[in-house]
Amino acid sequence: MEKTSIWQGTLALMTLKTLDSMGPLHGYGIARRIEQTSGNVLSLNYGTLYPALLKLEQEGYIAPEWGVSDNNRKAKFYRLTRAGRKRAQQEYRDWELAISVLARFLPSKEEA
Amino acid sequence: MRPVGAWLIRLCGLFRKEHLERELSAEIESNLQLHIEDNLRAGMVPEEARRRALMKLGGVEQAKEAYRDRAWIPWIDSLFRDLRFGARMLRQNRGFTAAVVLSLALGIGASTAVFSILDTVFLRPLPYSDAGRLVWVSIRFPSFNTEFLPSPDYVAWRRDNHVFAQLAATQYGGGGTMILGGSDPAEIRAWSVSYNFPAAFGVRPELGRFFRPQEELPNARRTVLLTDHLWRDHFHANRKIIGDTIELAGQPYTVIGVLPPSFMLPMDVKADVLTTLPVSPTATDHGSAVMTWSAMGRLKPGVTLAQARANVATLFAASKADLSQMFGSDTSPVVEPLREHWVGNSHLLLSAVAAAAACFLLIACANVANLLLARLSTRSHELAIRAAIGAGRGRLSRQLLTEVALLALIGCAGGMAIATVALRGFVHFAASAIPRLDEVAVDGRVFGIAVLVSVLTALLFGVIPALRAGRVDVNAVLQKSARMGLAGRHGMLRRGLIAAEVALSVILLSGAALVLQTLWHLENDHLGFQPEHVLTISLPLRGTKFWNHSKALTQNLLPYLRRIPGTEAAAISECTPLTGGSLFETFTRSDRPLPEPWHRGDNIHVCNTGPDYLKAAGIPVIRGRSFTEQDFHHPGTLAVINQAAVRAYLADGDPIGKRIGGGRWGTWKTVIGIVADTKNHGLNHPAAPQMFVDNEVPDSTSLLFLVRSVADKAALTTVIRGHLHSLDPNLLARFKTLDQDIGRMTTGPRFDSVLFAAFAFVAFLMSVVGIYGVLSFSVAQRTQEIGIRIALGAEPRRVLEMISREGAVLLGVGIAAGLGASLALMRYLKSLLYDVRPNDPATYAAVIICLCIAAGIAIYVPARRASAVEPITALRHE
Repeated sequence: MEKTSIWQGTLALMTLKTLDSMGPLHGYGIARRIEQTSGNVLSLNYGTLYPALLKLEQEGYIAPEWGVSDNNRKAKFYRLTRAGRKRAQQEYRDWELAISVLARFLPSKEEA
Repeated sequence: MRPVGAWLIRLCGLFRKEHLERELSAEIESNLQLHIEDNLRAGMVPEEARRRALMKLGGVEQAKEAYRDRAWIPWIDSLFRDLRFGARMLRQNRGFTAAVVLSLALGIGASTAVFSILDTVFLRPLPYSDAGRLVWVSIRFPSFNTEFLPSPDYVAWRRDNHVFAQLAATQYGGGGTMILGGSDPAEIRAWSVSYNFPAAFGVRPELGRFFRPQEELPNARRTVLLTDHLWRDHFHANRKIIGDTIELAGQPYTVIGVLPPSFMLPMDVKADVLTTLPVSPTATDHGSAVMTWSAMGRLKPGVTLAQARANVATLFAASKADLSQMFGSDTSPVVEPLREHWVGNSHLLLSAVAAAAACFLLIACANVANLLLARLSTRSHELAIRAAIGAGRGRLSRQLLTEVALLALIGCAGGMAIATVALRGFVHFAASAIPRLDEVAVDGRVFGIAVLVSVLTALLFGVIPALRAGRVDVNAVLQKSARMGLAGRHGMLRRGLIAAEVALSVILLSGAALVLQTLWHLENDHLGFQPEHVLTISLPLRGTKFWNHSKALTQNLLPYLRRIPGTEAAAISECTPLTGGSLFETFTRSDRPLPEPWHRGDNIHVCNTGPDYLKAAGIPVIRGRSFTEQDFHHPGTLAVINQAAVRAYLADGDPIGKRIGGGRWGTWKTVIGIVADTKNHGLNHPAAPQMFVDNEVPDSTSLLFLVRSVADKAALTTVIRGHLHSLDPNLLARFKTLDQDIGRMTTGPRFDSVLFAAFAFVAFLMSVVGIYGVLSFSVAQRTQEIGIRIALGAEPRRVLEMISREGAVLLGVGIAAGLGASLALMRYLKSLLYDVRPNDPATYAAVIICLCIAAGIAIYVPARRASAVEPITALRHE
């Protein structure tokens, strides 16, 4: 898989899941965390994150707040809202289902 | 997803764009710094750390652009820009804007108003439950020019039919007035109906009950139903009124119920109470008193109109067999949907108005199309430049679309305003002439259609040609020499539009001219009498102490009227110069055999008059003499006839001294004089034969007096009212001047002509402006060519001729087409016209001359400008 590509629609889920597990984070932190979690398989163009964050914010799943980072720098932190948490779970379940269905079509390691 | 909330936020985003921009920059900056610090910590040199971070961020501008797309709604932004730009363009070209907006507004407004009326009058169902099953039932008597159902036939038909769930009868025509007695006497309108009338119309009482079958019997206890408005206004909505007795025309009536407020009497009858017709089940004999009634029925479920007609035809055959003299070969039964009957005569007027409105809308659209095409041609240069510097076709079309939409929007708003005002005016002036008009309101669907038509026109001619042009050849348009390309391409189309406009204006103008001539004839034709200063006083006597003592009242009132200062003459009469009289009978003369009984045709109006009637009415005596006081010692023996009667029945030899109107119709009367014809049969009909008889009017339910007086009408009315009140407070007189009567009779035609004239005039202006526009545009486009022609030695005169010819061809084609169409169409207007033929050559000549003069000016001005072109200027011209 090409390193830079992000599947359409998964960035939102990854963002939500990241905030769910990590607590409030700034944009850079979210991007880094997604890359780390993917085992550096994914490489984000950090600029693409801002419209995605804005969309989630407009939809009320995350709430921004200016705060101070670990190294004392002013940064905009995003916090998951209750609706966002529900949304994350919902998306997660949907993906789980999709993956389990897809898995039946793909040869398992044992078979292969 | 929560799209709605997100959209709202984005919409709000429009208003805090700057804040969002700043916020984003700060966020990106802070994240960048965090990234750089991380990189530094990872051991990079500062420069490298920054470079890597920037690379990872991607294009900052692209990121911001993507963010902006999401933060608010960018196309709204550009829409506003387009709107601002469009508005500026429209402001700069005020003439163009005004012309387009006005055309749109007038076209939309006028057609919406007219078609809303048509919709209400023709298409909306009657306000009754299952109104489609209601039919009008009668017998047509062409010789009397009327239709009604004689009472014996109604009784027989109601009993014997098997197609009507209910067959109800009503008094023929509208209701009569009665005096409502009691502590607060009032003149009210009563309408008599058969007991089953409310049931036929499917209406339920608001209070109390409706008539019972036995209550319509001739000797039954009198009962009355109140309309809601009378119950509220006069009886203060007193619910205990049911069962009470009220006095109507001096007779006690028991109030049995109140009609619901929504109930509207059919045929636009205005009445305050309903009483019963005396329907006697045994009165099927034509020998007894025959009353003229109207009948309306409700078809049984499943019965078709054709079945009903067949059944009524059978019933009619039976009636005819019973009394063949009454039903001549030309009489026929009528069964038609109630709505058709109700709408009746106004059909033609409304169709004509609708056609005019449609013509008008077409002219307006043609005008708009023309203006937009012309405008586009002049803008082709600008559009090409914009295309050349990178405006996409989508962007350009959006810009043009916005401009056209802006025009259309203003036009529609104007159209709505015009439609509302026009409808108010229409209802105000024509409410009496057209049924159900008070229900009219601006119809949303109709408005929608008019808007659609005009906006489509605007788009079709305002945007699409521009797009095609934009796509084809940016280069060619930008080259000066190709400047004519666009004009040339739409030239034929625009000329065709103008010719069509001229043709439509010819149609409208000729229609208007014919109707105006009719109005002129109606208002200025010799009325046959002098209507000025004549006051008529009508006195209903029922319920007053003069009931059965009308002679006493006459003897009191006439001398009183004559004593009032200013009175020139006062008389009692059964007719005014505008009506025929109480009787309409077969003409007889002593020197000819009598016609058979029930003979129809050869009719004459008979009007009993007292002394001085002719003087009071201002009808001149042509030959012989008028009545004198002495003639009234032997009443009913003399006759004065009008010229129409002479022409119709006494053209052979000297009518004076002939004895007429006798035999079965009483004593013979000797003709002593001939008087001028008056408009006794409507202003738009020739005078009907009429005879005046020296008879001081027998006992009657109401009296009519005419007073010719130089006194002020209002003062006179007050004085006479006071006198009548002193005689009996229950005497309620109605005062009218003959002028008022005539005014009322010309309201309809005046309204028609004003409407047509307004349509025609505006349409005419539009097409003249259209001709002017096309030619001046053509001259502007050809300035260069004309300059070359002049430089090469063409005389200015020849240039003038050349341009004029161009205009004249348009005009000629338009006029020819319009003339042909008018001649074909105007005959349908025949019954709206009086004293002018639909193909009257003078009218058409006048229309064409008018049009030619105006169009001539519209042609001359640009032609003149062309001939004055300076070759040098022209060649330099861009």
